[in-house]
Amino acid sequence: MVDLSVDLGFIRLKNPVIPASGTFGNGEEFRPFFDLDILGALVLKGIFRNQRPGNPPPRIRETAAGLLNSIGLAGPGAAEMQSIIRRLAAMTRAPLIVNICGDDDEEFAELAELFSGMNEVALLELNISCPNVRSGGRCPAQDAVHTARLVRMVKRRARKPLIVKLSPNVPDIGTIARAAEEAGADALSLVNTFLGLAVDLPARRSVFANFFAGLSGPAIKPLALKLVWEACRSVRIPVIGGGGIMNGRDALEYILVGSAAIQIGTVNLIEPGAAVRIIAEIEQEMEMLGIHQLDEIRGRLT
Amino acid sequence: MAPTPILYSGGGKWHNRFMQDEWCPLDEISHPGGAGYCLLKLKSPALARQSKPGQFVMVQAGSGYDPLLRRPLGILKCDDSHFWLYFQILGRGTSELASLKPGDRVRVLGPLGNGFSEYHRQRILLIAGGRGIVPLFFFAQRFAADNELFLIYGARRRQDLNLLEEIAALPIQERILRSEDGSSGEKGMATDGVTDLIDSRKITVTLSCGPEAMLKWLAEGLSVQPTENWVSLEAMMGCGFGICHSCVAEFIDGRYRKVCQDGPVFRLAEVRWST
Repeated sequence: MVDLSVDLGFIRLKNPVIPASGTFGNGEEFRPFFDLDILGALVLKGIFRNQRPGNPPPRIRETAAGLLNSIGLAGPGAAEMQSIIRRLAAMTRAPLIVNICGDDDEEFAELAELFSGMNEVALLELNISCPNVRSGGRCPAQDAVHTARLVRMVKRRARKPLIVKLSPNVPDIGTIARAAEEAGADALSLVNTFLGLAVDLPARRSVFANFFAGLSGPAIKPLALKLVWEACRSVRIPVIGGGGIMNGRDALEYILVGSAAIQIGTVNLIEPGAAVRIIAEIEQEMEMLGIHQLDEIRGRLT
Repeated sequence: MAPTPILYSGGGKWHNRFMQDEWCPLDEISHPGGAGYCLLKLKSPALARQSKPGQFVMVQAGSGYDPLLRRPLGILKCDDSHFWLYFQILGRGTSELASLKPGDRVRVLGPLGNGFSEYHRQRILLIAGGRGIVPLFFFAQRFAADNELFLIYGARRRQDLNLLEEIAALPIQERILRSEDGSSGEKGMATDGVTDLIDSRKITVTLSCGPEAMLKWLAEGLSVQPTENWVSLEAMMGCGFGICHSCVAEFIDGRYRKVCQDGPVFRLAEVRWST
């Protein structure tokens, strides 16, 4: 009998599998496929104060074993998200994580305060790493000083544990990870998408209106795994790793490099029942490898 | 996994909808339009019974991570236990699907999208351009008995004007076949003389599907007609069930809507066409 549970310090999850923000809709869309209660937790789509239309199409381009997206955080705004959360909480006991965005520091802090006030919300995830909002793909998570200032400000007003989601598009992930930790982050999650470019050769321009786009999917797994390994060695707080996880074996690799739990993203889009399969595969792999608890392998990469 | 119908929200709207993700056995594969097109006959009693004209499915192409995304394909027709997919072979995904063998199993998510409304005792003109015939064929198969149907089906060349025997067998009032180069049927565009036809045949509803240039022309040409006009849109899709927001189209109210979940069938006059 294997034990899949995960203790993040501030919350205990029944298993390490957490669908990532933007790849799991409002959660309820997945109910035809499985009971959401089986999830370790789930992250809702990134939310701003106001409604956002998102970027002009095209917003997606398939790459070799990967996916470039430039959605631009289309969403209904915070008020509508509150009713989505209430509806979802009535459907599942899975811990709900709200992914908070902002065009400026104040917006992040305001939303952290707002969603902290909801009993239905278990945790907050601070999305300082979306590459599709500003032209050129810039985001706060690329700057240690900005990251620290923002996390500190949000922590002052958040009354729920705060996960800070980091960008892979940085020269040294350890510096940013430590900046977030020192500013009071309760946990880190990484990676958000890698900046990529797709060109329209006949037109001689970028496929995307925002020029760069975010790469995800199995193509990024080795790159993401390396960054998660580095982040885990840089901080003491829990790290939620992810990037290109397609199966249970991928998930256990992320635990081995030090992840407390894992996020699954792109796979949810192409296989709605992926979370169920991956949880079952983690259990099978653990049995096969003689692992009883994830603690036995966490961070034990040699 | 037992599929259960549920209520869920799509862009603020609530649909009562059935969908499932299932490995479907491939019973037959053929190329009725020559090498460029492919017809799959797949078995799934649940999907076949639940599908409505205008809906589509997301089909896994290949067995690995490349190509990664499923392909959105319109449903051509259904019987009690099977559904048919007809598509143009355009890239790696559709090439993979076209190389399947009978007995292979194909992973299919669906049925997806809103589909066309049901009509009774209407005079309906179906306007199909190229592979845009697919959802309109299904509509004709399902609703011909209850309505008077008229079809204009146009394509660039003979090779793109397919399923002619099946179309001839549909119980519809009138079929006009056209090719731009005159190699099959009348020479001309699907849109030629549409407004005269609406007038003379006392058409009350038009349903169209085809290339953007055709749809854009129709949006302008039909705007002064008294008909109720609907269009089925095609889009590049990530997930097909409303999650990724990749497949949005722009509307005249300035909003984006998801083709997969809010559509693919929309009011023709509400879509904003690129210039």
